[in-house]
Amino acid sequence: MSNIYQPDLMTITKVIQEAPGIKTFHLKFQDEEVANNFSFETGQFGEYSAFGAGESTFCIASSPTRPEHIECCFRETGKVTAALANLTEGDTIGFRGPYGNTFPLDDWKGKNLIFIGGGIALPPLRSVIWNCLDLREQDGRFGHISIVYGARSVQDLVYKREIEEWNQMENVTMVKTVDPGGETDDWDGHVGFVPHVLENDFKPDPENTVAIVCGPPIMIKFAFEALERLGFKQEQMVTTMENRMKCGLGKCGRCNIGSVYVCIDGPVFTATQLAALPNDF
Amino acid sequence: MKTATLNKSDIGKCIDLLLQADLRVIAPRLQPQVDEDGPDALEVLTFTEVKSGEGHQVGKGLLPLNGVKEFLFAKHEPLFAYEKRGKKIEIIPVHHEYPQTVIIGVRPCDAASIASLESVFSDANAGFEDPFFTERRSRTTFITYSCTAPDSSCFCTSVELSPDSAKGSDLHLTEIGDGRLHVEVITKAGEAVAKQLQELLKGEGDQATREKAGAEVTEKLTRIRDSAPIMDWLMDTANFDDEMWQRLGEKCIGCGACTFVCPTCHCFDIVDENKGSKGYRVKIWDSCQFDHFTLHASGHNPRDWQYKRYRNRFNCKFKIYPEKFETPGCVGCGRCIRACPVNLDITEYMAEVAHKATNPNAIKAE
Repeated sequence: MSNIYQPDLMTITKVIQEAPGIKTFHLKFQDEEVANNFSFETGQFGEYSAFGAGESTFCIASSPTRPEHIECCFRETGKVTAALANLTEGDTIGFRGPYGNTFPLDDWKGKNLIFIGGGIALPPLRSVIWNCLDLREQDGRFGHISIVYGARSVQDLVYKREIEEWNQMENVTMVKTVDPGGETDDWDGHVGFVPHVLENDFKPDPENTVAIVCGPPIMIKFAFEALERLGFKQEQMVTTMENRMKCGLGKCGRCNIGSVYVCIDGPVFTATQLAALPNDF
Repeated sequence: MKTATLNKSDIGKCIDLLLQADLRVIAPRLQPQVDEDGPDALEVLTFTEVKSGEGHQVGKGLLPLNGVKEFLFAKHEPLFAYEKRGKKIEIIPVHHEYPQTVIIGVRPCDAASIASLESVFSDANAGFEDPFFTERRSRTTFITYSCTAPDSSCFCTSVELSPDSAKGSDLHLTEIGDGRLHVEVITKAGEAVAKQLQELLKGEGDQATREKAGAEVTEKLTRIRDSAPIMDWLMDTANFDDEMWQRLGEKCIGCGACTFVCPTCHCFDIVDENKGSKGYRVKIWDSCQFDHFTLHASGHNPRDWQYKRYRNRFNCKFKIYPEKFETPGCVGCGRCIRACPVNLDITEYMAEVAHKATNPNAIKAE
């Protein structure tokens, strides 16, 4: 009898403190057979357990083009994330997944890509950013890649080193911003909310371009509105939803938006798909 | 279809025969609900495991409080045990018993709900099979019993069922007068159970009297009869923001009673029950009526008002189940109406939606 609720065990091989209260784990499967059989695609998520506290849902923050380990990144906000944050290198966590659909990379061939994220929403984008950068490196299948990322303050930015790495790359435009009041004296990025900076400072050309947005629901809403004013059509806008989940398997009944279950029908949706859903997110 | 007759007074003997065949038998009984020893112990009709044919309430009373859901989808289900040893974790499978079970005295509404639960927990849903449900389901046989006295909360005829429906049944019993029951063998599992009861089953049934008896009871149900326009109306996402939801849903206090007594509600939580370095990961019943049910870690809550949570429940019954799982979300048992502490009545919503759906030009209430 195969138990869909039983996680595989993973060892934390590295812990990175990304920002106050935000950590990245590098994870490796303990069972060799599980490790060999595991594969995922960008956009998918997992259920991560801290035994004794329970499970939390995070995306897989690493790229499938870099399969030596998987990464997750989380903010300490509740019981499970607090228990996870207490773990250190060598400790064991549980993992179920990968679950959900994936970013439609095949549809993006030959197109320019703009990734737009806020705060702790960069991890899901980071997976697809590295995936696209690595594939472009291999065969040039995507055009120009831009990243617009912001957080409340400079210290709240996650993946600070990678932001600098993207900043240095040719064919990548890195636009970074912090909310008003969150800047420091030596801050060299923009000051302003992500949708505002996107519309008024970056002003991307919608021609042959796809915009991938991830953030809290309110940011997604304003970013989509800004993109529409810039001339983007709904089918050029993609997002990934972060509804609360327990099972990840379409059974526990809490991540639905109308008849759509984010865990099995998502988490990746186009703006066209979201517009057809009831106003329940 | 094979039919037979059975004396109503032999049901106790039927239970004894099933027990003798080493089957676990679950039947409605009057169970004390307050203090078992107290003088005022309130006895409530409840499905419970029985050890003899005495004291059963099959065919008596209307609906047991609990329905059959908990015998397929446990209220509290240990999924596995774990033990922490330093930096390592050991996962220990939990041994579950799945005895071959017969549930007798199931009313048609409850029997119809089984297919709905199955559509969620079986691998037909996204390829993921919940083995705890399917193992129990495959070992459970349902002996159903047509209703004779529906009450004012019953509305099975509004959801395409009837008080004598054999949908979801393995072996179906209907009273045909003179203390006799018409027996219908519906499935192979029902046939196997009928074999165990062979010595009590006589000759052939009386199909004509059975149809007539069913039709007479159906006449007693007078709530709205056509729920077809409800789903169409709900499918229009503009109606998700209709003023009706807030107006009718305002009195809901979010206690969740309706969801716990509902035969098709299937929401659950997954939690760790921990003691020291050991514990169990457990699946427990949850309710979409609770305010933290959809609360995001960020503090954002898509269903931040109670009426939105009630709106979700109504949509789940009449749109999400039929659209996503292709099974009925409501079987008209009326338990949610009887259990509601503030008399919130789902058929009031149904009637209003049906009215809106068939009178699209009606002026909205202020």
